[in-house]
Amino acid sequence: MRPWYKQLDYGLVAAWIGLLFFGLVAIYSTTHGPASEYLLDTVKRNFQRQLQWVGISAFVVFVCLLIPARAFRNLSYLAYAFGVVLLVVTLFIGREINGAKGWIVIGTVGIQSAEIAKVGTLMMMATVLSYRPPDSSLLRYAIGTGILLLLPASIVLLQNDTGSALVYLGLLPIMMFWSGLPLWMMALMIAPAVAGYFSIVSMPIALIFSAVFTIGIWLTTRKTFIGIVGGLFTFGVSLGATFVMHSVLKPHQLARIQSFTNPGADEFRSGVGFHLVQSMAAVGSGGFFGKGFMQGTQTQGAYVPEQSTDFVFSVIAEEFGFVGSVVLLGFYALLLIRLVHVGAQMKHPFASMMAAGTAGIFLIHLFINVGMVTGLLPVIGIPLPFVSYGGSALLVNSVLMGIVLSLHMKRDVFSLYGR
Amino acid sequence: MDEYRGRVGVFVAVVLCVMVLLTGRLAYMQLIQRDTFGAEASNNAIRENLVRPARGAIFDREGTLMVDNRPTYSVLLTPRYFPREAGHRAVFDSSKVRLLARVLAVPDSVVWAKLAEARTRNPDAPTRSFPEVSFEQFAHIQEELSRLPGVTYEIRQTRQYHTDARASHALGYVREIGPRELERRFNDGYRRGDLMGMTGVERNYEMYLRGKIGTEVRLVNARGLDIGSFDNGALDAAPLSGYDLHLALDAGLQAIAETLFEGKRGGVVAIDPRNGEILAMVSKPDYDLSTFTRSVDRETWHYLTQSPDKPMFNRATQSMQPPGSTWKMFMALLALQEGHITEETRINCPGYHPLGGGRMYRCLGRHGSIEVREAIQRSCNTFFFETMMRTDVNTFARYARMFTFGQRVLTDVAEQTPGLIPDSSYFNRAYPRGWTPGYSINLGVGQGDMGSTPFELARYAAILGNAGMYHPPHLIRELRHRETGELLRPTLPAPVQLPIEARHFEIVRDGMRLVMEAGTGRNIQVPGHTSGGKTGTSQVGVGRQNNSVFVMFAPYDNPVIAIGIQVENAGFGGVVAGPIASLMAEYYLNRSISPQRQAMFDRVRSLRSQVISTGT
Repeated sequence: MRPWYKQLDYGLVAAWIGLLFFGLVAIYSTTHGPASEYLLDTVKRNFQRQLQWVGISAFVVFVCLLIPARAFRNLSYLAYAFGVVLLVVTLFIGREINGAKGWIVIGTVGIQSAEIAKVGTLMMMATVLSYRPPDSSLLRYAIGTGILLLLPASIVLLQNDTGSALVYLGLLPIMMFWSGLPLWMMALMIAPAVAGYFSIVSMPIALIFSAVFTIGIWLTTRKTFIGIVGGLFTFGVSLGATFVMHSVLKPHQLARIQSFTNPGADEFRSGVGFHLVQSMAAVGSGGFFGKGFMQGTQTQGAYVPEQSTDFVFSVIAEEFGFVGSVVLLGFYALLLIRLVHVGAQMKHPFASMMAAGTAGIFLIHLFINVGMVTGLLPVIGIPLPFVSYGGSALLVNSVLMGIVLSLHMKRDVFSLYGR
Repeated sequence: MDEYRGRVGVFVAVVLCVMVLLTGRLAYMQLIQRDTFGAEASNNAIRENLVRPARGAIFDREGTLMVDNRPTYSVLLTPRYFPREAGHRAVFDSSKVRLLARVLAVPDSVVWAKLAEARTRNPDAPTRSFPEVSFEQFAHIQEELSRLPGVTYEIRQTRQYHTDARASHALGYVREIGPRELERRFNDGYRRGDLMGMTGVERNYEMYLRGKIGTEVRLVNARGLDIGSFDNGALDAAPLSGYDLHLALDAGLQAIAETLFEGKRGGVVAIDPRNGEILAMVSKPDYDLSTFTRSVDRETWHYLTQSPDKPMFNRATQSMQPPGSTWKMFMALLALQEGHITEETRINCPGYHPLGGGRMYRCLGRHGSIEVREAIQRSCNTFFFETMMRTDVNTFARYARMFTFGQRVLTDVAEQTPGLIPDSSYFNRAYPRGWTPGYSINLGVGQGDMGSTPFELARYAAILGNAGMYHPPHLIRELRHRETGELLRPTLPAPVQLPIEARHFEIVRDGMRLVMEAGTGRNIQVPGHTSGGKTGTSQVGVGRQNNSVFVMFAPYDNPVIAIGIQVENAGFGGVVAGPIASLMAEYYLNRSISPQRQAMFDRVRSLRSQVISTGT
């Protein structure tokens, strides 16, 4: 057998290091720029703290590599239970930051429980799906895992952390797809979300999408029942969302949802649109090569709120321009594609599920986060994996990476047909 | 492995789709629409600050600093960054208010009150809540600025006045430009918050004093904090300070005159007859110019503008009063030049002028047969009633204009009101049903339908002292730029020799000398000098004290100071106006007041104008 270090997937490690590096550079720029003396002391320490978390994360990844592959599967019940308990505890003793009561503070360290619980939830789903006999009904398992997922997701929603809850929910179609659910079923799951999005942006587009989708899925499956379900999902959501927006929501709630479509409008600008106006200005003004490291006026002036956490992408886009942004996206592409391939190389469904789920989580984070910073999506506060400032997220994402690397490294000894 | 192949393809395709979508969005924002978004960023991060130049300083003729600038520090609050009230459960916490209160050394409640007040104005804009904090407090605020979002500061230049002499009306006040004025003067480069001279030389030399506004382009952060210069200051334009004003005014003389004028109403102007330089210009009651370095409260403003004292009214150049007997030299010169009398012409004074049967036009004594010198010395009314009878009002008016009476003169004195010099058309207008010599005979003794200002009287005294040579009066000697050393001198109208023969002037001057030696001015001769003077006492209405008027020049030969003074409702000319002028001349010539005259100094100082009764 080959030595362990030759089994490691170095593409993943390279992407991981590259992204961490990007994050540290961006955070350094927000804390040590020419105007740093005007920053709050707590912000000034961000870089140092993040550096410490990078060290801790590297250590944890190393520890993951040492843990036997089967242990992860055996630990999944415990991890899931721990995550759910942590979420519930947070509901009671948590601290509210940026409107979401999602943090447990121990001493000076704050832990975002929704991030921590992700690991257990993903492991649990992977475990359950890996028990499924190949010929059994996938739908039953799908509903089972769905319930397993809904428990933590709804608690997260109770914490008022919509962004994280979306990540949980987004995991379901990806896991289902990876365990073999037909594509049209996937499409059926995702379609309501897309219809909802379009009905916020523009009602006619939502109706056109609904029509195209309904006809498309009927043509694909040639099943009238599925066509009707598809129509109900898309038209129903479009009309329902429109009804809710205009009749149920109060004007300020509606404004919050709609502001991203026109953040510069007077009624949004000083309020909910402020984040977006500023971050889009930062991104746009970056141009092709960017303004240079620690030279971004938006970044150094701290115009973009949350610029080291959720809006960290605006720092990179402003100071390193289109080139820097594309390089960053390149690292994500490398990370995600390697994860998918690693998942395919796994010889145990649990391991494969873990890799695909990890890729799914990162993909959702990347899409929602960059979409939000560039004004494609509403402001949903979730971090950019490995790049945003924040210890819990970095640690949890690194743990997921570590588990996948570890499982992949030991794929030959951890298989359904192996020892 | 193979079982996943299709799914790998789909998954990778989804990943690539996301990448293409995001890259496309970035390309759209950063490459195609860059200017749209970039503009927003540069609006944000760059702020153009005005850099105000130092307003020119003002010095007196000896180079004594009278006015310069001093920075004042104000603290501005933007309420949006603060909680609404103490203990309000919000994302803000009250510790900021406590910190601010500690730094400013005021109770928390004061800060809360200021916040509430500012909020009613505009919660999103900074309000000058603490104007004029001390430099120590300002420095402390600067240190804590990063912990005090919503707190900004402003450094403004205000005028600082240094001498004992107030010279309120000569210098004039300066205040922040008002909204209407700003609209009118915006194209001249005025901006909100600019200082502007409103009266006096501050107004007259505004365009020289103010200098040129500079700009600097600064980077600011989201809280509006300045974080450095933009493009290493390539776009900055340095301000250019204004010219310093060097006045002809003698601050010491001005201060003496102001002291002597205490509690009185009226004005005095002293001129150097040799060149027209204004040595002193006092108007009382006056006001403290530094009142305007702060915002003026309603009560003070009401006093300044509405009270019967009219402290902002420049009595020295705007208060028109009958000149009384000081007018007699003018009448003598007119009559001599027109040939109505000669040096030897004698006119009989029985104690009255026969016009009106002896009751209307009375003299103060029975002077008998009297010639012009003596008539001036003893202030004989009859003599000058008679000279007026021999002339006509149009000739009278023509001569008066020669002496610059009844007109504004081209000079740097911003506020002037011409006195009243009647001519026939005036009388036609005033008395449409006809008028006789009885209407104009009073003019011969400076009473009746005429008036002059102290400024006019000073010009008159200077012309008399100078034997007919008129030098246009002016307040400033030169403008000097402190940085460039550039020197500007005011362009003045050329001196004018009055078309009256010099020998006539000698007769009249001699009469004035006699006044000071053996006439109504014998008690107020300037020690150690001969001089020429003339008292005047003008009646201003039933129940009102007479106005005390005086004109003089000194020394008698080659005078260096000429004074015209009116003190309202204070008695005879020789009692108040004369002593003040004499003491001024003494101080100017000797640079001191002799001990023998100290008693006179104190007595004159303690005299008061009759209080203006209002209502009844």
